[in-house]
Amino acid sequence: MYAIVIGGGKVGYYLARDLLERGEEVLLLEKDSARAEWLSSQLGSVVLTGDGDEMSFLSTTGMERADVVLAVTGDDEDNLVALQLAKKRFNVKRTIARVNNPANVRIFKILGVDEAISATELLLSAMEEEIAEES
Amino acid sequence: MLVKVVIVGCGRVGARLALQLTHEGHDVTVIDQSATAFARLGDNFPGTALLGNGIDEDMLKRAGIEEADAFCALTNGDNRNIMSAQMAQHVFNVPKVVCRIYDPIRYEVYKSLGLGVICPTVSGTETVHEILVKD
Repeated sequence: MYAIVIGGGKVGYYLARDLLERGEEVLLLEKDSARAEWLSSQLGSVVLTGDGDEMSFLSTTGMERADVVLAVTGDDEDNLVALQLAKKRFNVKRTIARVNNPANVRIFKILGVDEAISATELLLSAMEEEIAEES
Repeated sequence: MLVKVVIVGCGRVGARLALQLTHEGHDVTVIDQSATAFARLGDNFPGTALLGNGIDEDMLKRAGIEEADAFCALTNGDNRNIMSAQMAQHVFNVPKVVCRIYDPIRYEVYKSLGLGVICPTVSGTETVHEILVKD
């Protein structure tokens, strides 16, 4: 499976590492060059420096053969546009977004993203489960 | 006919448009993340200025997007504009939507998807070009 991860923050880094450990083909896109250098030192040559919603850059990533594109930056608008471009311009079948504002889970689905995952919602439901078990 | 307009982004264009529309008697609400941006509206702005995030569903509802006849996304960020304009068009079904996109490539993509878009880069280039090559 070829997975492209957009955004090399904490989530992007651990996600890419995990996918690599599982033997998947991974490309991690990070726009900050200093951060990208650090990511390369940790993960090897699977990191490209560039903006995940610049078309000219995306054309160099082989996105049209990606099985899945995951956008996990801290900005919902950047994640949305990157995945819409992936779908509309590169015909990527499966797109998955990290959503920072939980209210955007619904919005992302209406706007064509296949899966929208809110860390806040996941954390809340896990904590609620813990509380329920205690009582 | 008087209309209700929601404008996201109180920069030079957003503020100028807001003043022009209120002068004509239209009902205008402007949203911006920066309180200092509202200085562009002057002291006696007859419309509503709301401090907040233009890609937040609750904020857009507070601005009256559900009753709006028109919506303009005029922030500095292409992706913010694209996201809020799509929310206006596809989530709140605002009849008339205008989204400013500086990047010509993203402009083409979203134009082909049926979003109401304008691109000052393309129109500005055309204007200058016409002056240069005109006899």
